[in-house]
Amino acid sequence: MNNSPNIEPDKEVPELKEGFFDLLPKGLIEFLNEAGEIARFAGKFFKQVLRPPYEFKEVLKQAFEIGYRSLSLVSITSFIIGLVLTLQSRPTLVEFGAEAWLPSMVGISIIRELGPVVIALICAGKIGSSIGAELGSMKVTEQIDAMEVSGTNPFKYIVVTRILSTTLTIPILIIIGDAVALYGSYLAVNIRGSVSFTLFFKQVFDSLEFSDVVPAFIKTFFFGFAIGLIGCYKGYNSKKGTEGVGRSANSAVVIGSLLVFIIDLIAVQITEFFGFL
Amino acid sequence: MIFRSADMKNGPAVEYGEPVIEIAGVYKSFGNNHVLKDFNLTINRGENVVVLGKSGCGKSVLIKCIIGLLSYDAGSIKVFGNEISQLPIAELDELRARIGFVFQSSALYDSMTVRENLEFPLRRHGKHKSKSEVQGLVEETLKDVGLLDAINLMPSELSGGMRKRIGLARSLILHPEIMLYDEPTTGLDPITSGEIINLMLNVQKKYNTTSITISHDMHCAKITGNRLAIIVNGTNYSDGTFEELSIIDDPQTHPFFE
Ligand SMILES: Nc1ncnc2c1ncn2[C@@H]1O[C@H](COP(=O)(O)OP(=O)(O)OP(=O)(O)O)[C@@H](O)[C@H]1O
Ligand SMILES: [Mg+2]
Repeated sequence: MNNSPNIEPDKEVPELKEGFFDLLPKGLIEFLNEAGEIARFAGKFFKQVLRPPYEFKEVLKQAFEIGYRSLSLVSITSFIIGLVLTLQSRPTLVEFGAEAWLPSMVGISIIRELGPVVIALICAGKIGSSIGAELGSMKVTEQIDAMEVSGTNPFKYIVVTRILSTTLTIPILIIIGDAVALYGSYLAVNIRGSVSFTLFFKQVFDSLEFSDVVPAFIKTFFFGFAIGLIGCYKGYNSKKGTEGVGRSANSAVVIGSLLVFIIDLIAVQITEFFGFL
Repeated sequence: MIFRSADMKNGPAVEYGEPVIEIAGVYKSFGNNHVLKDFNLTINRGENVVVLGKSGCGKSVLIKCIIGLLSYDAGSIKVFGNEISQLPIAELDELRARIGFVFQSSALYDSMTVRENLEFPLRRHGKHKSKSEVQGLVEETLKDVGLLDAINLMPSELSGGMRKRIGLARSLILHPEIMLYDEPTTGLDPITSGEIINLMLNVQKKYNTTSITISHDMHCAKITGNRLAIIVNGTNYSDGTFEELSIIDDPQTHPFFE
């Protein structure tokens, strides 16, 4: 039968033939299967994102919701990280008589690594789980079906818009978080010593190079994409029942966080390889 | 199939219009779970057919195939003469605008108010209407289901019966020619389900709809349907009016009429 494009054939678990695959542990096969499904889901996103109609309004609405709801959490955690990192680093630097380097050192660690990764992990927890749970409950209460019969492509309206908005919003949250963390660090420096606000930030920015900032910024888009993608994938494929919804939210966080680390690792390798130009 | 209306020589001779839904030899399975097996059913304009069957026998699957939410493995489903599985998406959407689907779980959009829920199909089906037209339609439809007061509430603030009625209103807003009801009265008290049944009868009268109603509720089936179809083992096992089916002595059919 010739399916029209939007009627998806129901996914069936392929029956594995006796042979090579039986030798692999079951967990590994499940892992590969899942990775393949996620890649297919991402492929579907790229196919649909360029096709009109573009749901601009919905993207903006989601971006606002996602950003607004996470802003306070991101700010508080970043502030504490900046503060604690500075307090913890000080004694070591003092030992080497390098106390003056404190702003530079903290600045580099926050901008290059800690800010993006920690905030992305927080977003994976907060945003990934809420998208997973939201889409999961939309799925089990037939809201996704209802959209489809109302002349709407649900993948586009729900999934594409959310992935786009996390891809755009999470980098912004990370920039804000970095700034708040540096401010926390500035306060921590001033608990013991005394450095003016301008001097502190002058030191931070003088020590930062193009090769610190740009790769760190680029990878945040990938973090945002991965978090949105996994949240949507898990929610959209949620199993029936409330238990299924909980499980979607949970595994969205686990896989999302894991992906953040993997992307970070890859980003470091790429940056090193190019010596960053 | 053990019984067909036509078997009955002195059956009621009501005239209906041309066929609007033609289901012929439909098969649908999920993996090894063969849900529909050679299912046949034709519904003419103006007919209101109630589909009965035990839980899990594939009633919801059947109507989801009709509206193209699920694909079927073999056979043919024609709505207004169009083969559902072969319609391009744009035409399928046009066709869907002529069909109202009331979901088993009401399927109200949690993140939207009642008003936005009702506006959604109006906006999305691309019928460009002015603000006041949209407003007027939403209010008229809410009045039809007696819930105009709820217009600014969120779905989480509604009771089960109210959700059913809003779900019904949302599927009515485009004035469909066909209504598909998935268990409209299940889980409601007798009074509320009586109200829903009255609404369904009003809809039949006001919009002149053809309908398929899935129900376990024989009272609802008797009042809203002029024909019954019973699904057993994935096929249309027996098909006829309430009176015809209620008198046959068959172990698969009889339990529904006890
Ligand atoms: N999307 C799906 N994927 C896999 N199996 C499904 C899917 N939808 C339905 N099924 C299976 O198809 C069968 C029929 O389901 P369906 O929902 O049509 O039952 P039903 O007759 O509507 O029952 P109820 O009266 O409880 O609503 C069930 O065994 C169900 O597990
Ligand atoms: Mg059902």
